[in-house]
Amino acid sequence: MLKNALFALAVCGIVAAGPCMAHAKLQSSSPANNAHLTEAPKTLTLNFSEAAKLAMLKLVRDGKEISVPLDKDAKAGQSFTLTLPLLAPGNYTVQWAAVAADDGHVTKGSFAFSIA
Amino acid sequence: MEIGGWDIAAAFAKAVTYAATFGAAGAVFFLLYCRTLLRDRQRTLVRRLIGMLVGVAAAAGILRILLLAGSMSGEFVGMFDGTVTSMILGAGEGRATGLRMAGLALMLFAFSTNPVLSRSAILGAIAASVSFAWVGHIHGLVPNTAATLLLCLHLLCAAFWLGALPPLLIIAAGANVSQIAAAAARFGKLALRVVALLLAAGASLLLMLIGHAAQFWASDYGQMMAIKLLAVAALLGAAAWNKLYLTPRLLRGDARAAQLFRRSVLAEMGVGALILLTTAALTTLTGPP
Repeated sequence: MLKNALFALAVCGIVAAGPCMAHAKLQSSSPANNAHLTEAPKTLTLNFSEAAKLAMLKLVRDGKEISVPLDKDAKAGQSFTLTLPLLAPGNYTVQWAAVAADDGHVTKGSFAFSIA
Repeated sequence: MEIGGWDIAAAFAKAVTYAATFGAAGAVFFLLYCRTLLRDRQRTLVRRLIGMLVGVAAAAGILRILLLAGSMSGEFVGMFDGTVTSMILGAGEGRATGLRMAGLALMLFAFSTNPVLSRSAILGAIAASVSFAWVGHIHGLVPNTAATLLLCLHLLCAAFWLGALPPLLIIAAGANVSQIAAAAARFGKLALRVVALLLAAGASLLLMLIGHAAQFWASDYGQMMAIKLLAVAALLGAAAWNKLYLTPRLLRGDARAAQLFRRSVLAEMGVGALILLTTAALTTLTGPP
């Protein structure tokens, strides 16, 4: 009886399960990774592979952190757009960390762009 | 994902949480299942072990959440960022940790002399063992009900098997051959079914997570899973050697077999630790492709 129930459970699970969408991965961003811009962007957008909460975002230029307001209490979403202060020409690195809404996994990453 | 010292520390804390939770839960199962085979002194030692492991599991579980919060900013003060900690707890980790803490607290009833209260520790052992199913990669599957139930079964069987090893070592360390033989035979009888369930549930979960096979095994997750499967095969080999070679000799009163049994249980504990470390790395540092 238990054996049959377990077998049925396993078969149902394997047949019904769709692709596993574990971990919120950064799919794209604006500015894009390694973008060379001629004028300063007014906003920063991060698009994730699944719903997540953006827990940390650091914008760094020449080792100095530039404050970017981040609403950590915002609801989970796949896309986050943040308003940027006026950026001077230079090389920028964006470091981010997110918590996946469905499985609670933490993902982190970074990307760079420059303004001429 | 970029992996740094914080992430490795968080994975290590998770491995300790697994080991201590399964160790405490498995000792509670063992105490109930092999109670009549244990002497008073051994029962006391197993209870002390449960108490110690409950404390370690609770502390490691809390430390892991703080390390995850710290890993986001990469700074020590980040560990105590209330907003980030609430974010982690709100995304499933809170339910899992809450259930585990309640289970760990219930397990302390193993110390009670009241038989009803003492048996209620088993509920705590079940709750703490299955708590890990309330967060993790399977929640990325749609639907995930069958996967959650299978993972609960997998976790319970893992706790029964791995958690029984320290109490078996306590028996093997100080008892005569006949007592070791009785404990090995009694545990081995149920372990056979439990291991079969563990493998069946684990294999089903793996099939659900695999997706595209070639892509899966080429990924970091697939390669770490291959290491875990090799370690599981080694553990199965040691368990089979215990059951098929050592236990019959123990039952015949072979003193040399008792010595080999102790070493074999120690080796199983070592391989078990490797499996838990790999699982913690799988569930913290990587994800299915």
